[in-house]
Amino acid sequence: MNAADRAAPDRRARADGTPGRVVGAVRRAIRRASTVSLILYTLALGAGIGLATADYATRGGYPFGGVTVGAWTAWPRTGSVGADPYARAVNARRSEIPLAVGEGMLLTAAQDDAGQGLDAACTYAIAGITPPARAWTVTIAGRGPRDPAQPSLREGFTSTEILRESDGRFVITLSPEVQPGNWLPMPRASGPVRLALRLYDTPVAASAGTLDRAALPAITRTGCAA
Amino acid sequence: MTPRGRFLLATTTGLVLAGLVHIGVVLLIPRLAEADSLSRARVGETLDHAMPVYTLATGDTASPPEAWLPIPDPAVAVGICAYDLTEGPMRVSARTGPLMLSLAVHGRRGAFYAVTDQAAVRGGLDLVVLTRAQYDEALANADENDVTRDVRIVAPDAKGYVVVRVIAALPSQRPAANAAVQAVSCTVDLPVEDKAGG
Repeated sequence: MNAADRAAPDRRARADGTPGRVVGAVRRAIRRASTVSLILYTLALGAGIGLATADYATRGGYPFGGVTVGAWTAWPRTGSVGADPYARAVNARRSEIPLAVGEGMLLTAAQDDAGQGLDAACTYAIAGITPPARAWTVTIAGRGPRDPAQPSLREGFTSTEILRESDGRFVITLSPEVQPGNWLPMPRASGPVRLALRLYDTPVAASAGTLDRAALPAITRTGCAA
Repeated sequence: MTPRGRFLLATTTGLVLAGLVHIGVVLLIPRLAEADSLSRARVGETLDHAMPVYTLATGDTASPPEAWLPIPDPAVAVGICAYDLTEGPMRVSARTGPLMLSLAVHGRRGAFYAVTDQAAVRGGLDLVVLTRAQYDEALANADENDVTRDVRIVAPDAKGYVVVRVIAALPSQRPAANAAVQAVSCTVDLPVEDKAGG
């Protein structure tokens, strides 16, 4: 009993004093630091932060260079000689072969028109027209592996195989449930989804900045399985 | 200088150094990468036809595992021809068919030229990639009465690759698209002296 009484305040004092003690130790270390240890600290800071930020910036998608048009982001210059160093580093790390300006253009969408992220549990209507191109494809582009339990029915539509309205417009239904018309099945049961629209042999690649929202298909959420 | 001042100086220097390291690393990644498309293309350098990079799934056969594109287009067959211009100019010949075909020439810094089958002359697309010196030589040796169908492109670097893309608009066209990629020939052009002599 006595021993416990004596130990308890002691422990509390130690718990209170820990941050102070750390700060004190750091202060003492700063005061006592030799030139050599300061140089080592500088080098470690430079190498650590530099490498970490370079890795972060070139991991995954392109950090910048995209042109946002509605829900879509166009990447007109990622494959050209004028690509920024970050795009070139991303291409090298992912071993990507980007589309050249004269070949086509890639557009990606990770959100719907309302700005909400595309969710695999929801149903979306991708409706409208595309900019002029000799051929185009709409595909589901990654973000996680495909569910092996789900049979791979269809990964995308090409401009030739799609069913259109009489005025040339089309509606693709991206849904986990079977749908009439152009049904694009969800690749997995849950999680984020990303779409890729590739325009082949298109004059738009040279002037992506002038693309109009109405020239690209709109992505609207029509319901969620909840 | 106070100890605190020295420490602040060290921290500031470290942050500036971090910025330099960041820029240096980002610029060096394409040069040092061992798994980028240029290095991978090297593997098929000895082939005289395009090396398949992404073969389309046909029927029940899925895409073979040689596909290394991160987000491939499931309707586009991709092939690649690596070139090394120190061995001579690279000639890429493609016969156009019913399927849309495009050729893009990539150097170390990115794609500098692309052409589609709409530029084909009499069903054939002949692309010759050469260095500036080889181009001047070809011009000097050219016969003025001899009309050439070749599209001559001067490459900025000696090494690079040509990408062949064939679009299968319908699933039934996928075997044809795979075959069309394979049918593209990539050969080192004979030196002009040999041609003149023979």
